[in-house]
Order: sequence, then C-alpha cells, then structure tokens
Amino acid sequence: MDGRRPEVLTSVSLTRRQALQLAAGATVLGLTGCAPSAREATEEQSQGSLVMISTQFQPVAEGEKMRSAVLAGFGRKVEFLGEEQGPFEDRIRAEAQAGKGSVAVIGGQHGDLAGLAADQLLTDLSDLTQELSGRGFHPDYLELAKVGGDTPAYIPWAQASYLMTARKEAVDLLPSGADVNSLTYEQLTAWGQRIQQQEGSRRLGFPAGEMGLLNRFFQGYSYPSFTGALNTRFASSEAEAMWEWMRGAWAQANPQSTGYAFMQEPLQAGEVWVAWDHQARLIEALKASPDDFVAFPAPTGPKGLGFIPVLTGLAIPKTAPDMDGAKDLIRYLTDPKQTATVARELGFFPPTAQQQLPEDLEPGIRAEADAIAAQSTSQAKVTSLLPVGLRDKSNAYNDVFRTTFDGIVLKRRDARQVLAGKAKELQEVLDSVKAPCWRPDPESSGTCQVG
Amino acid sequence: MSAVEQAQAEPGPEAALARPADRPDRSPAARRRRRVRALTYAVAVLLSLFVLVPIYFITVTAFTPREVSYDFPKPFIPGTVSAETVRFFADSTGVTAALWRSVVVAALTLVLSTLLGAPAGYALARFAFRGKSTYRLLILSTRAFPIVILSIPLAVTFITWGIYDTTYSVALMHTGLALPFTILITSSIFVSVPRDLEEAARTLGCTPLGAFVKVVLPLALPGLAAAAIFTFVLSWNEVFAAVILTLRQRTLPALVLAALNTSPLPFRFAAAWFMLAPSLVVIFVIRRYLLGLWGRVAR
Repeated sequence: MDGRRPEVLTSVSLTRRQALQLAAGATVLGLTGCAPSAREATEEQSQGSLVMISTQFQPVAEGEKMRSAVLAGFGRKVEFLGEEQGPFEDRIRAEAQAGKGSVAVIGGQHGDLAGLAADQLLTDLSDLTQELSGRGFHPDYLELAKVGGDTPAYIPWAQASYLMTARKEAVDLLPSGADVNSLTYEQLTAWGQRIQQQEGSRRLGFPAGEMGLLNRFFQGYSYPSFTGALNTRFASSEAEAMWEWMRGAWAQANPQSTGYAFMQEPLQAGEVWVAWDHQARLIEALKASPDDFVAFPAPTGPKGLGFIPVLTGLAIPKTAPDMDGAKDLIRYLTDPKQTATVARELGFFPPTAQQQLPEDLEPGIRAEADAIAAQSTSQAKVTSLLPVGLRDKSNAYNDVFRTTFDGIVLKRRDARQVLAGKAKELQEVLDSVKAPCWRPDPESSGTCQVG
Repeated sequence: MSAVEQAQAEPGPEAALARPADRPDRSPAARRRRRVRALTYAVAVLLSLFVLVPIYFITVTAFTPREVSYDFPKPFIPGTVSAETVRFFADSTGVTAALWRSVVVAALTLVLSTLLGAPAGYALARFAFRGKSTYRLLILSTRAFPIVILSIPLAVTFITWGIYDTTYSVALMHTGLALPFTILITSSIFVSVPRDLEEAARTLGCTPLGAFVKVVLPLALPGLAAAAIFTFVLSWNEVFAAVILTLRQRTLPALVLAALNTSPLPFRFAAAWFMLAPSLVVIFVIRRYLLGLWGRVAR
C-alpha cells in the first residue's frame, strides 16, 4: 500500500489540473448558456407569441410542416409543441391547479380532450361554435365536441380514419374472385393463407403492440362488420364468429405483430405485405413509394363495412393567458384555406359534412383519401363514432377489448367464456360513467347495456 | 488491475524461465490457464460488441439515405452515405437550441450536485453520527418515488414559485435526482482516502479545511470526476422531469422524445445519433478519471 502511494499522488497531480479546467469550463457554460435563454423567454412573452401544444403532428417532419406551412401565415408567432398524451394532460391539469397558464390552444384527438373537458378544465366554446357555423362541420362532430355535456368543449379541426394498405406484390396473390376494393373478411384470411403458401411466411399485419391501435380495429371495424353493433352485441354469437375469424387471421399474421405500433415500417421493410392501421401510421410507406403500395378500404363483414372516423379538435384551457388570441388562432386554423393546407401537407382531412379536398394532393395522400372515401360512401357502410360519454374511462374501455383479444386469440381460451367475463367488465366501465350507447349501437334511454 | 491483466500476469517470471521459449508449455495447469485467458478475452470481446454494434448501426443508418434505412437485414458496410436526415433533424425548429440547453443543464447539474453531494459524502465517510445508517437509506429513498406520480405536484410547485419553464429549474430537478448517487459514490471515495494522511496534514499545521483542500481533495479527484460523469449522463438522458417542467425551454430529449415515438425510422436513427455523439465525446474525455476510480476500487 505504502509503496504505491507516491504513484497515486503523481497520477493525481496530472489529472487535477484537467479536472479543475473541466469544472471551470462547466461553470462558464452554465453562466453563459442560461442567461440568454432566460431573456429569450421573457422577450417572446412580451411580443405576444402564443403557445400551442398538440398530440397531433408530433413527428419531426409533420411538426415542421405545421410550423412552416400552416402556422407561419397567422399574424402572430405561434410556438407549436408536440406532446404525448400523458404530459399533455398533466400540463393542463398542473396549470389549472396553479391557477396560472402559459398554454393558449391545445389540439388533440377527441379522446385526448375528453378527460380535460370532463373535469371542466376547458373553456366553453359555444360562442365560437356559433360564429363558425358557416364552416360546414359535420353535425356528428359538433355533437361529439360536447363530450357528453351541453356545451362544446372543442372545435373540430381535422378528421382521419383507418384503412388497409398492401404491397403491390401481394395484390398479385389475391384469391380468385377477390378485389381489393371490395374485400370480405373471409377473403382477407384466404389472401393471407395464399401469401403464406407462396412465400413461406406469415405476411398479414396488425398493430397489436403496446402503442398500436388494434383496439380501434375491434371497436370500429370488426365488431360493426360482424354484428352491426358494438357494446350491445359484445358477447353475441356473431361476436363469437368475429373472434373465430380473428383467430384465423392471426394465424396468417406475422408473429411480430404483437410488437407493431405503426404498420408503415413493417410494410416498407417487407415483413408485412397486407396491413390495417390509422392513415397517419401508413402514410410514410405510401408517400415514399406510391407505386409499391396500394391503399384500399377495410373489408366487409356479414353486417356491412364497419369504419370509424377519428376527430381531432382544438380547445382552449381555462387558464389560457390570452383568450382572444387563442380564439383568433382557432378561427385561423379552422379556415378552409388552412384545413386544405393540412390535408395537402399532413394528410388529415377537413372535418366537414361535405368532403372538401384540394385537387393537388400528392399521390400517397390521394390514395388514402380515395380509400377512405370508398369506406364512407360504401353502400354497406356501418359508421361508428368514437366513444362519446366515457369521460376519463377511455383507457379502461380500450383495455377490455385488448384483454379480450389476449384471452381469445393469443391465449386461445374458450371465446364464449372469455366474452361472458369481459361483458361484465365492459358493463362496469359504462356504468361508472353512465355512458349512453353511441353509434353503431342503437340509442339507449339510460346507460348503454352490454349484450 | 483488470481481470484480463491478472490472467496475463499469472504465469509469472519463473514459469517463463523454466521452459525454453520456443516450446509451448503443455502441462495441464498451463492449458487451463490458457483456456481461462481465452474465455476472458471472448467475454470481453462479446461485451464490447454488445455495446459497439448498436452504436455502429445507429451511426451508419443515421447517415444513409432514407430509402435505404428500411432495408433489412442491414448491410454491414453502407453502400451510400447521406447526411440528409441528420441535416433535416438538426435544422428542424428548436433542435440546436435544445441541444445547447441539454449541455447547459447537464453541466449545471454536474456542478450543483458535486457542490452539494461531495460534502455530504465526506460527512458520511468521515464522521460517526446518530442515525447515520438511516440517513444513508433516506438518501436512497428519494429515488424510490416514481417521478410519474410526482409530475403534477412538481409542475404546480414550479409554476407557483415562478421557476417553471426555465433551464435552471430542470437543472435543479436533475440535481435532486442525481444527489443520492453523488453522495453515495463520493462517500465511498472519501472512505478510500487514508485518514492518516489527513491527520498528518493537521499535525503539520493545516486547518481542517486546509487539510481537506490540500490533501483529501486531490486524492479524491479522480473519483469525484467519475461521479460527475455519472451525473452528466443521468441528466443528459433524463426525459420525464424535463418534459413536465418545461414548455419552451426544452432539453433535447424532452423536445424530441414525443416526436420520435411517432416519427419514421430514419429520424429515430438521426436523433439517436444526435443524443449519442455528444455524450460519447464527454465520456471519452473523462474516461481516464473513470479508470482512476475503478483502479482504486479494485484495490
């Protein structure tokens, strides 16, 4: 030990100077780095920039387009910040509790705004809704924007939907007599089988990962297509048939599906040849190589073609620092010119009753728009709405569908038994918020009854 | 001394003298030693690959054109090189400012947590006081609370105190998160500095503070630097507190994380490379101090 001490001392005297330099450097960095940024913030506030946070258009390229193509034309500076749903809600709640806010406008899907609206954290937008009645919003959306209450909590901003996309080489393997534009659920499975026989691997794809939206597939597509309803036929024999179909389709699906969040990537990598997903989660593939992919409507089941439009809205937190500025921004963003830009640049469509799309859409977005239009204008369509009165129980509601899928398809338990158990859970969720039925279920006088 | 060095040193000079250099030793013991050495090397190589291969692929993919980055399996040597995605990422709103802020926050955190944590670590190492072990546990317990539960109360407190959405507030929070580690690491470093050296300095006329500054601190510096690098990396990687405590003044991970979850693959690689490169540079610069620490601990 003693013999080594001098060695340590010499090695230290070498490193000490450098360590001190490092510490000094770090301090200087801290001092010089922070001062200007703090000043910047106050300057911006005094210039009157508005802060908008959004769970939509978060991806790097989309955020940039939102800033440069859409918000740049607004008279004032808008700081557009993408945020995930968790921090998005937490921030508005924290600002409300502190009684002091810096966020002027929030943009999100119906589900992102519903919890905040249920807790009375959003400004009543009755006057603005009245003023903007000329924008031609879809009446269903105006109803949805009340989030189960009497007054609108947000203004419709854009709509999107889910659709199917396939690689071109898969189309050559379609079973005889099948057409991508009028596919049935049975043909989809047969298609998957044929691809597996020819290619030797399972190439259907579902976004069944933790971040995936598979629950919407059941809620808006397979259930309505097989049962013509949702909650009211949840455990019916038609529902059993649907889950039986799902088991068959899953047998043709890439086993990695349990990890997929966005189907555009496995499609582009060729791991998956045929997939269902949200349009925003397929668009990269269609935009990057429109000639290699086909977009087409969701399949048709025994009761029709179930599909669900997704509504995105704009709201103002009660703690917004500049209420008039915030309302101006909403007026600006819902202007047909801006919604057309959003369609052209970002691929989300105007939330109007009449489809209003600009002529000059790029091929990928045009392909999606056509497939979605085919869904919404189909003779056999069964339109669903997003859950209307679930307040803060959206996640609990979605979980029931997820765990039913786990039980019946992944763990291969008896479908009837699983459905009976899950029907009780579903009823508990609906009872806890006294949610009435929504489309495609028939209107109910009280809480929706699971059947 | 590392395991590898030990394995190399083991045969000793006598063994080398006992046999002619041109004839390999075939005794069972020597064969076993060779096997152990081969195994050690194999494990070392595997561990290095475990770290280096992902870094390599992130870098390569970040600098390939967008279309190529989807290819699977990825070619080991890229055919084409392009800085297109990395450049788009770097040019997108707020990225350079956020990168700078990240550096500032990490540096501030490093300085603050060393200034606060090192004295606490010294106290733990040198003094016996009532409730010392409880104190040690309490320090760690601050890390036992999941920060997710604290997010709203934290944000509310920061808003009411008027320090919400500033670079300083994030540094403050990161200091809070890093302190337990700083205190425990520095205390073990101060324990390893012989107390008799400090006492000798006192007998030669140093004040307690003088003895600390002139004798203990220089000996502990390599370890302190190691604790500092740990703090830097912790702050550099922290997302949750940075997201909830800032709005416009975001650090790089806070700015891009939400975007990356939903961004196409090429951007994720570009951002990963952006997050990786600066911290690698810092780690390389301070690597020698880390070796100082591990050398000390190994003894």
